[in-house]
Amino acid sequence: MKYSYIKPRKKTPVTPELQIVFTFFAMTLLMLIATYSFLLYKDYTFIQDKQSIIEHKKELEASIDHMQNQINFIQKQKALAEKIFTQNMVLKDSIANLFDLVPQRITLSRAQLLKNGLILYGITPNKDVYNFMLQAPLRSIFHKTYSSFYPAKNGWLMFVSTNYMDESQTEGLDSEN
Amino acid sequence: MKIKISRHYLYILLISVFLFLFVLVFSFGLLIPKGKEYRESRLELQKENVELRKYQNFYDKTFKTLKDLQSKNRHIITAFDTTFNPDRFEKKYKTFFSSLHVMKVERSKDEEGFATYEVNTTSKISSPKNFYNFLDALNKADWIIGVNFPIDFKREGEMIKSSFTMKVYTNNKDKNSTASGSVAK
Repeated sequence: MKYSYIKPRKKTPVTPELQIVFTFFAMTLLMLIATYSFLLYKDYTFIQDKQSIIEHKKELEASIDHMQNQINFIQKQKALAEKIFTQNMVLKDSIANLFDLVPQRITLSRAQLLKNGLILYGITPNKDVYNFMLQAPLRSIFHKTYSSFYPAKNGWLMFVSTNYMDESQTEGLDSEN
Repeated sequence: MKIKISRHYLYILLISVFLFLFVLVFSFGLLIPKGKEYRESRLELQKENVELRKYQNFYDKTFKTLKDLQSKNRHIITAFDTTFNPDRFEKKYKTFFSSLHVMKVERSKDEEGFATYEVNTTSKISSPKNFYNFLDALNKADWIIGVNFPIDFKREGEMIKSSFTMKVYTNNKDKNSTASGSVAK
């Protein structure tokens, strides 16, 4: 027997209010967890990035060191090469000056260029020509000059002129180069 | 006065309070410290990036310097790397002399960290000018060569016989292997 004309409403613990509250709660929790996950993920990528930056920095540092060594070595090579090139040019000028120094009337038969001296062998018409035209300029260059003469077959004089510079001066010239 | 709340609303209230507490604890206990950490990490990473950029700039600058130096001194670098070959030397420079002989290639003591070899040379020239030209050409040679004292010029008829010592400089890395092997004649 029916006492009412309407159907009885089913009673459930999940009422529409509760559904709204749960949805709201779920969204809040989801947002919180999402934010936290994002932070965790970012933290992880930061650590990874930092690690790779440190490694890259180390690689760069090693490359820079290697390049610096190469630069130093090339500069050392350049300095030595330039020193040698200059020495060659100085030598060329010295030989040219030596041959310019010998007057036309004196003929050289041999010239020995030493590190700290010069030995000349030659023939001169007489001692005066030698003394004034060759020995005088040689004396102005070298510290010690020795000359010896002996007669040649044609009546001229053969000579040996030995000239030395002080050791200290040649060492000084070497170190300047 | 008595407040009447239905059981249903009481549950909702309890759950809300629980959520509120959970949000508070989660935020202050985990989220905010993590956020701070994130900000610090980001700043640190930025600093590292700035430093890396500085390193990169310095690297680029050094690399450019090295390349410039290498291109400007290519001849010198190659010359120091080339091992001395007496036959090639004779072939190349005999044009300056009437005759040229290169003898005895001997290792002498290192100079400024570079290996040096002494080479004795005898030659005949018609005029000192030939010797000057040879010295000029020597500075453009395939090797780093310095002419050393003593130098002896001796008249032989119309010719001048010259004998002198040359010093060849090479890199020291091949001290024990290639240099000694290839230089020896």
